[in-house]
Amino acid sequence: MRIVVCIKPVPDTAARIKVHKDGARIDPDGVKFTLGPYDSRCIARAVALKGAGEVVALAAGAAAGEAEAKKRIKDALALGCDKGIFVPDPAPENRDPLAVAKALASAIQGQGGADLIFCGRQATDDQALAVGPMLATLLDLPCVTDAVGIEVTGGSARVQRAAEGRVETLEVTLPAVITGQRDIGDEQYPKLKEILAAGKKPIAEHKVEWAAAKYAVAGLVPPPEKAPGKIVGEGPDAVPALLNLLQTEAKALAL
Amino acid sequence: MQPATAAALDLFNPTEAHEMLRRMVRDFVQGEVEPQALEHDRTETFNLPLFRRLGELGLLGVTIPEEHGGAGMDAVAAVIAHEELSASDPGFCLAYLAHSMLFVNNFHHNASAEQRARVLPKVLSGEWVGGMCMSEPHVGTDVLGMSTVAERVGDHYELTGRKMWITNGLIAEGTLGDVFLVYAKTGARISSFLVEKGTPGFEGGQKIRDKCGMRASTTAELVFERARVPVANRLGEEGDSLMHMMRNLEIERVTLAAMSLGIAMRCVQVMCRYASERHAFGKPLREFGQIQRYIARSYAAWKAARSYVYDTARRMDLGRPGQRVDSDGVKLVATTMAKQVADDAMQVLGGYGYVGEYVVERLWRDAKLLEIGGGTLEAHEKNITKDLSRAWQAIVV
Ligand SMILES: Cc1cc2nc3c(=O)[nH]c(=O)nc-3n(C[C@H](O)[C@H](O)[C@H](O)COP(=O)(O)OP(=O)(O)OC[C@H]3O[C@@H](n4cnc5c(N)ncnc54)[C@H](O)[C@@H]3O)c2cc1C
Repeated sequence: MRIVVCIKPVPDTAARIKVHKDGARIDPDGVKFTLGPYDSRCIARAVALKGAGEVVALAAGAAAGEAEAKKRIKDALALGCDKGIFVPDPAPENRDPLAVAKALASAIQGQGGADLIFCGRQATDDQALAVGPMLATLLDLPCVTDAVGIEVTGGSARVQRAAEGRVETLEVTLPAVITGQRDIGDEQYPKLKEILAAGKKPIAEHKVEWAAAKYAVAGLVPPPEKAPGKIVGEGPDAVPALLNLLQTEAKALAL
Repeated sequence: MQPATAAALDLFNPTEAHEMLRRMVRDFVQGEVEPQALEHDRTETFNLPLFRRLGELGLLGVTIPEEHGGAGMDAVAAVIAHEELSASDPGFCLAYLAHSMLFVNNFHHNASAEQRARVLPKVLSGEWVGGMCMSEPHVGTDVLGMSTVAERVGDHYELTGRKMWITNGLIAEGTLGDVFLVYAKTGARISSFLVEKGTPGFEGGQKIRDKCGMRASTTAELVFERARVPVANRLGEEGDSLMHMMRNLEIERVTLAAMSLGIAMRCVQVMCRYASERHAFGKPLREFGQIQRYIARSYAAWKAARSYVYDTARRMDLGRPGQRVDSDGVKLVATTMAKQVADDAMQVLGGYGYVGEYVVERLWRDAKLLEIGGGTLEAHEKNITKDLSRAWQAIVV
C-alpha cells in the first residue's frame, strides 16, 4: 500500500508567538518549528499500516520557509517514512487552504498516486481544519475527519472517528483521505538509526503553478494578555474566599 | 563536511543528524525521563525499563560502528546524549554512561570479532547491563596500585580481588549487573577481562547506600575469589590494557563533563524563570543586582565550559589515546562550573531551591560526584600539568 502523509511545520507549542510587523502573519523569526503533533501521529499510524508498501511525506510551501519544511520532511523520514516530496512555494505567507490543497493534490497525482492519504486534523498554528476535506474533494475521494483508529482490509478501511459523545465506525473505500486526531497513532521518538537513515532517503521536488489567492488575511491581533492569577490563601481556610471570587469575579460558578 | 564559513559552524549541533539526535533525546527526556527522576532519586533505584528504552532508541551504541550494530557516531553525539539526559536525571545518566561509555565503547575497541558478536547485540539492546571495574577499596586515583590479580591456569584465568564503587555493579537489591569489563594485574602489567554474571567465584559485595547524589544509579562493591574467567574472555593481549584504560578514560571524562553541562543548562533555565516570576519588595527578583550576578555569571560560565567541551569532543578520535590534556581539562572546568551554577540556582530560589520539587536541589547533589568520579579534580590537575610540562610549546599556541 502506498500511503501519503501531508505534513506541515508548526511553531513549537512553547514558542512565543509574535505578529509580524506587516500585521498579517506570524513572525517566523526566532520561532522554533516542529512537525505538527497530529501529523506525527498520522505518520506513526501510516508506518504501522504500510506493510510491503511505502509511506511518503508530502509538504507544500509553508510559511516557515523552504529550509524548515525540508527539515520537517527529514523528521518524517526519521519516523519511518520512506521518501519525501516537497512542493516549493515562492510566496508561502498566508497561502489560502484551497491553494495548498490544490498543490497537494497535484503532487499526489503527479508523483505516483496514493492508496491512502493522511492529514493531521489541523495544523496547530492556523487551525483552519480545511486542507484535508478540500484535498479529498479535489481528488474526488471519500474523507473521514477526526479519525482515532483505522484498519485496512483489501480495498477498504474501517475508520473510527470521534464524534460528539460517541465514536463512529465508518467503512470507506480506498483511496480515501483521513484526517487524524491525536489518538490515530502513538507518540513516537525517532530511533537513532532512523535519524541517520533519514539523511539518505530521497526528497523529490514537485513544482506547481500556485493558484491565485481568493482570500487574504486582512489583520491579525494576538489574544489579550491574561490577567495575573490571584492566590487567595492556602488549604481549606481559603475555600470560602475562592468560592466567592469564582462567583462574583470570574462568574464561573452559579451557586 | 566542513562548513564554508566560520558562521556556518554550529559547535553544539555540527550536523543535521546531531541536531536531530539532540531533539530526539530532549523529547524523550521530557516525555519519559523527567516524570520518574525524583522518585528514583528518593528510592535509590535504577530504572531498568527506562534503560531498555534507551536501547530501543539506539542510544546504547552511539559510538559503535554501524556494521557492529551501533549508530557509528562520534564523541560530539555522545556528549549530546549525556548533556540532554543530565538536564533532567544525572543519576540515570550516570548508569547510562557506565554502560555505554565505560563498558560498551571500551569493550568494542578492545574486543575480538568473536567477542563482539557474542556480547554487542545484548548490550546494545539493553538486555544486558554492563559496567567497568577499575577502582578498588584501597586505590582510586592511584589506580596502577590495584591489587586485583589474574592468574593464568590452563585455558582460563583466576581473578582474585575486590572492586569498589562499581556503577551498575548491583542493579537492584541482590541482583548483579550482567557483564563487566574488569582490570586486573597479570604480573606487573594490566590486563582486562570480560566477566559475566554467573561466573564461579564472582559475587556482589555491599550495595553502597545513601550516596549524596546520583542516587538513580546503583553503586556496589564486587568480589572476585578465584573467579574462573575463560582465556576467550581476555580483551586484547595479556598486559596490553593500560593503553585501553587510558584511551577510554578520555571519552569517560568528556561525557562526564557533558553531564555537567546538562546540569548547568537546567539550573540556568530554572533560575531565569524563577527570578522573573518571584517578586520581592514589589519587583521581580531579576531586578536585584545580586540576583543578576548569579544569573549572568552562571550563564557565561556554562557557555564557556560548553564551548570547551564541544570543541574538545569534535577534535576527538575515539580510536586512539593522547588527548588527555583536554579530556581532563574539560572535566576540571565543567564539573566545578556545574556545582557552582547549581549552588547559585539554589540561592536564587531561596527556600524553594532547598526542596526536591524544584529540581535544583537534586542537581546540586548530583553535580558534586562529577568532581570525584572518573578522576578527581586533583588527578586532572596532576595530569594536565604533566602533559603540559612535556609538550606545552605544542599545546599552548
Ligand atoms: C558514585 C560513584 C560511582 C563510581 N563508579 C565507578 C565505576 O563504575 N567504576 C570504577 O572503576 N570506579 C568508579 N568510581 C570510583 C571513582 O573513580 C573513584 O572514587 C575516584 O577515582 C577517586 O578515587 P578514591 O575514591 O579512591 O579517592 P582517592 O584516590 O583515595 O583520593 C582521595 C583524595 O586524595 C586526593 N589524591 C589522591 N592522590 C593524589 C595525588 N597524587 N595528588 C593529589 N591528590 C591526590 C584525591 O584527589 C582525593 O581528593 C565511582 C565512584 C563514585 C563515588
